[in-house]
Amino acid sequence: MAIEFELNGEIVHYHGDPRASLLNALRETYWLTGAKVVCEEGFCGACTVHVDGEAVPSCLRPIGLIANCSVTTIEGLAEPEAPHRLQTAFREHDVVQCGMCFPGMVMSLSKLLEDNPTPTREEVKHGLVGNICRCTGYERIVDAVMSLQDNSEARA
Amino acid sequence: MSDGYDASAAVLDYPRRDAQDKLTGRTLYTVDRAGPETLKAVLFRSKIAAGRIVRLDVEAACRAPGVRAVVTAADAPGQFGLGIADHTIFASDTIRHHGEPIAAIAADSLQQAKAAMDLIELDVEPLPALLTVEAALAKNAREIHSDWKNYEILLEGAKRGGNVAWEATVERGDTDAAFARDDVTIVEGCYRVGRQSHVPFEPRAVNARYEDGRFNIETSTQVPWTVRSVTARALGVPESHVRVTAPPVGGGFGLKFDCTLEPYAAILAKKARRSVSLINSRREEQLTCLCRENAEIRIRSAVTASGEIVGREATVLMDCGAYGGEQVFLTTMTAHTLGGNYRTGAIKLASRAVYTNTQPNGAFRACNGVYNTFALERHTDEICKAIGMDTIAFRRQNVIGDGDLGATGQVFEGDVLRPMLERMAEKYPYDAPAEPVRDGWLRGRATTVGTWFIFVGPSSATVNLNADGSATLVTSGVEIGSGSMMQALPQIVASELGIEPDAVIVKTADTDASGRDLGVGGGRQTVSLGAASTQACAEIRKKLFSVASELLQTEPSRLILKEGRIERRDGAGGSVGLTEVIARAEATVGPVSGSGAFTAPGVAAMPGCAAGHFIDAIDIPVFAVHDCELDIEVATGRIVIRDYRVIQDVGRAINPRAVYSQVQGGVVQGLGYALHEEITINEEGYFDQDGFETYRIPLAEDVVPVDLEMYEGAPSIGPLGAKGAGEVPILNVGATIACAVANATGKPVSELPLTPPRVLSLLRGRTDALELEHISRNWRDNVIS
Repeated sequence: MAIEFELNGEIVHYHGDPRASLLNALRETYWLTGAKVVCEEGFCGACTVHVDGEAVPSCLRPIGLIANCSVTTIEGLAEPEAPHRLQTAFREHDVVQCGMCFPGMVMSLSKLLEDNPTPTREEVKHGLVGNICRCTGYERIVDAVMSLQDNSEARA
Repeated sequence: MSDGYDASAAVLDYPRRDAQDKLTGRTLYTVDRAGPETLKAVLFRSKIAAGRIVRLDVEAACRAPGVRAVVTAADAPGQFGLGIADHTIFASDTIRHHGEPIAAIAADSLQQAKAAMDLIELDVEPLPALLTVEAALAKNAREIHSDWKNYEILLEGAKRGGNVAWEATVERGDTDAAFARDDVTIVEGCYRVGRQSHVPFEPRAVNARYEDGRFNIETSTQVPWTVRSVTARALGVPESHVRVTAPPVGGGFGLKFDCTLEPYAAILAKKARRSVSLINSRREEQLTCLCRENAEIRIRSAVTASGEIVGREATVLMDCGAYGGEQVFLTTMTAHTLGGNYRTGAIKLASRAVYTNTQPNGAFRACNGVYNTFALERHTDEICKAIGMDTIAFRRQNVIGDGDLGATGQVFEGDVLRPMLERMAEKYPYDAPAEPVRDGWLRGRATTVGTWFIFVGPSSATVNLNADGSATLVTSGVEIGSGSMMQALPQIVASELGIEPDAVIVKTADTDASGRDLGVGGGRQTVSLGAASTQACAEIRKKLFSVASELLQTEPSRLILKEGRIERRDGAGGSVGLTEVIARAEATVGPVSGSGAFTAPGVAAMPGCAAGHFIDAIDIPVFAVHDCELDIEVATGRIVIRDYRVIQDVGRAINPRAVYSQVQGGVVQGLGYALHEEITINEEGYFDQDGFETYRIPLAEDVVPVDLEMYEGAPSIGPLGAKGAGEVPILNVGATIACAVANATGKPVSELPLTPPRVLSLLRGRTDALELEHISRNWRDNVIS
């Protein structure tokens, strides 16, 4: 039985094993490789996607539970010509290193900013509790997020 | 302005060209590149730490559904290694560590490959496993490599024997006389550290094909040329039959400074006549991590009342695991790290890589330097305590400066550490008013110094000028995340050719197209590839000026390249566009290209001092001063970092913003090592920490912004005087935290990481200073006679 869901604005039908993780389905059925396979245990956040507007680790969601949901991946978050303001900020602040964690970081933080457009530095750090980065030491990521607010220095 | 271009134009905060795709999930790493036509491979690994293979039968696995190839030791018997060829890719008759590969399977799907593994029949006779260095060095311990005497030696000059895979020693001066002096205080200490796992987000992964009689390997590596040569040795084919390319790498930190998965995928691809993808699962990646090695250290020093170090003896035991690997090379580094930092009279150092029945260890950012700096700096503070001298004053007096001798007798050039230390003290005086300490907490602060090096060595570069005025830089560089390939190198080439960095196309490693290179690591990419690129550009300028001199009717030596044009240095006369000169060159002498090469210049050591070393003297030293203030919660032993400050010798920062990023990231990795990252090995020879749940790496809420000041102007042969900046930030983090904790608690800190239970045990007086009975106080007993 096919599983119907919305993927980056398009209705799709998944015919594989419903026990497969959403992450594997995205990567191996739809060839969307932006969500990364890193820990596959829900700790690192590199596979974060939006399911019905919530940021979730796609490694822990069986695709069978995605029926009739709306899924947005990093590929569907914004058009390359009109990137999300977080992507622009990360680029301008030269935050990226190896890059493996960033699709997940962007998905988590874009949701955080939607819920709380003016977070404090502590709130941004707290929001990253489920997104691990091995390269950057985080502070520059937080700087970039804070730069999206006026007078960010004053709040830092 | 020199030689017709403006070198200082290279210095800028040029942004990364790979950021956009990395941020939008479009970058294809090795793990993303195996298409549906590619077979998936798995490794059948040993479930015990030591044993003899009595019977291996893969017949049933070969016939399993979807299976296209099964390979074992018979398919790849070649031995390889560093210094000694002690390793094969499969265990054939002896199993030496948990997780050691015994067979590899490629099938249509990963599930089919895994299912076929269950059909492999293996009978093993277990052997008692030697899981610690102490056990491996015990009298009459079983030899883990019973055939060690017959292994091919790849570098002569080191002593080996039994379970000692490699021994590097330094002997300079008469330490016996120094310790016998009646005006010295003898200070002694033992130190111990566990393993640190790199946890790169992209695991080791490879895609391989066999085409036209050659192996075509696409891999997540830092060392394409090592992969080429090791794969060839393992498979018993000429090196020229192996081609290696490297897509963007999702983090390395030294883990990918060795060949690991590539030969398996290559041999499977040949046998199956299909493309093969082999990717470590996260558990495999962790359980077979070529970790920063666990080590044990004893240091003894003879110091006068005025703080002169007249004699020092040290022994460092490095656990290399079941095979020598990188540890054999890294024994070299003790001379330059534990033997670094301070002017020392007579000195004896022994650094031994010891075989155990554990997973082989490898290279990790500032490798052996991290724990040797921890041991040396803690020992230095103990010396200060013993002779009643201020720790900063002692360091100012003794740090290596201009004309001083290093451990191996090399003469250091320039005063670098002392002014850096003075600058730190000036910026953050110890007597400055501080925020009060909360009830139930202790505060500690420490300042430490560190010596590291740039791992120079062979690199080559070719630059091709294109008709549109852009340039293509062809090297064996790999972008592993540090940004060197995206920033420093195009910046250097652009400044050399008077064009914009955006006009420099950077081709990453392809061993069929780019020249030989030692690889990305040891802070060498910007220095070595930058130097080779600089030379390639000089050749191009010469050719361009020769053509332009006819067009402009002037001497080539009077020309400069600037903003895409060639003009006269004195500004007189006209100018000619670069594209015009290129077109003219194509019509008269052919397309314009240049090539450059670089290698270690070979700084001299004192003859006869060092034995068994791969590098007797360090060509480009790098120094760092770290300072940390922290609080400790007395009830729990929890450490909270208040401030972390770094003054780092960068030579010259080519992209200052990128240097800041490397320092922040490197220090945070060091905080993990200092505070909570540790692999422990259980009695089965299996890691207790097999994933993200049990192996905790720093999270956003754990970290603080690092206060960095770059120290510029120290001598360097790098392009524009640059030194690598990515490796050294981790060097003295463990040392600084340990010294600060010792200062806060007044307790002997001899082990890392400083987890809350370990700190609590110190606070409650349940931990004495560490004593390592298996390392003799008599240095001679610790070396092969």
